[in-house]
Amino acid sequence: MRINKLNTKILLFASIAFLKAGASSAQDAGGNTDIAKQVAALQPGDGHFMVAGLATFGFVNQSTTNTLGGVSTKNKMNSLGDADRFEFSPMFLWRHGDKMLMEFEPSWDGNSAGGIGVNWASISYFAAPNFIVRGGYIVLPFGTYTKRLAAGWINKLPSDPIGVDVAGSDFGVEAEGGLALGSMKCSYDLAVTNGFQLNPDGTTANVGISSFNRGKTVCGRFGWLPLSNSSLEFGVSGLMGSLATPLADSNVYNKPTITMYAGDINFVQNISPFMINLKGQYTFSSVNSQNYNNPDITQPKYTFTNNTSSYFGQIAIRPTQIKNRVLNKLELAFRYTNYVSPKNSTWGQNYKEMDVSLNYWLSWRSVVKLGYENITSDGTTNLTNSTGIDGSSTSINRLVIQFSTEF
Amino acid sequence: MKTTGIKKINTVVYLCFAIIGMIAVNGCKESKLIAEKNGMTLWGENCQRCHFAPASNAFSAEEWKTVGLHMQSRALLTNKERDKIIDFLQN
Repeated sequence: MRINKLNTKILLFASIAFLKAGASSAQDAGGNTDIAKQVAALQPGDGHFMVAGLATFGFVNQSTTNTLGGVSTKNKMNSLGDADRFEFSPMFLWRHGDKMLMEFEPSWDGNSAGGIGVNWASISYFAAPNFIVRGGYIVLPFGTYTKRLAAGWINKLPSDPIGVDVAGSDFGVEAEGGLALGSMKCSYDLAVTNGFQLNPDGTTANVGISSFNRGKTVCGRFGWLPLSNSSLEFGVSGLMGSLATPLADSNVYNKPTITMYAGDINFVQNISPFMINLKGQYTFSSVNSQNYNNPDITQPKYTFTNNTSSYFGQIAIRPTQIKNRVLNKLELAFRYTNYVSPKNSTWGQNYKEMDVSLNYWLSWRSVVKLGYENITSDGTTNLTNSTGIDGSSTSINRLVIQFSTEF
Repeated sequence: MKTTGIKKINTVVYLCFAIIGMIAVNGCKESKLIAEKNGMTLWGENCQRCHFAPASNAFSAEEWKTVGLHMQSRALLTNKERDKIIDFLQN
């Protein structure tokens, strides 16, 4: 390594000397020349621009059985990719010096009628060794999945677990950093954002940039890595804030607020000859007591306990240290996901999903996944007597072939 | 009583922010074990927390500097970790 460095330095010195000599003689011959300009053009500036990103596509074959009022209907479909398994997201990075970074990641998932979404668009200032300030459209620091694991080439399974993206991205400011704690480490990540609005059915959505949310949402995550090799990480997250309501409905609701908590765990360890990768996250959100629109408009407003919870746990095993060049690129992954939305809401369901995937890694950032997914979802709406809506159940079996890469 | 409780909570929150702020600006002392880790070790340990460790030829030296800032904000690496990893990947 040192010999290579020495060689590089000698070559650089020789090149510069050669170019300077050339420039000098050319100047002697006729003043400022093209060579001198070329030398000047090679001088690096303090800014840098690059494009990275991710691309994912694949094939989905799915069988769905819906049961409503004791009657089942079955249908099959297949598609070369779908909303959760196709994505093209270039990431534009501008660096100004050593302390400022602009990041912009548009994303097209083929499902937004030709529209292109944006994952994040922000300006980061690396103000102090352990202190980064960010402003713009940011990924909220809530749990780890959305911010770190959602990219197709990082995700060990073809689909994202349901319920982890409750916070998503929002307009706001953020402060974050990693801190050494002896042989341990910890990290903090705090954000203030425009927050959410409350919809008439009890769901929430980001208010966006033209906020009519007079109160803001505070969100944060604290991470702790207790082992010196950083293989284990625990995280706790919280989010709280007032919920916006349209001005016309301001007297309908009783000062709506949202509170969310999350816990996450990450463990990655080489246990010869395998690399073991464990991940999990639990998320809970709650909206205080409110009256909501009844789907039957002849009926008065009604209420329900507006709590939503979800969790997932996953394991991936890859024999990275065996010599066989095919087997050491194979990885087996399994994930279980559970999602429970409010009982007696129009969107109430008890959702369970089991995914298994056999992955073949073409490189550290390119993977082909062969996945099987089984989903069961039972509707928990109980408004039959007043509205005619009945609880339904859905069963989905899905085969997915997916290619994903980072570029 | 309720107001007193809220004041106490606010005090605790402000104290937490103050402590985090002080730690963030001044930094904490790392152990000798951590301080002696080289870039290759840190590259192996930290990158694979989310994805497989990248090959050094995936980006140019200048690009690694930019990618380093991006990854520091994702994995919340310390500055020393980031600098050692980037130096290892650039060379």
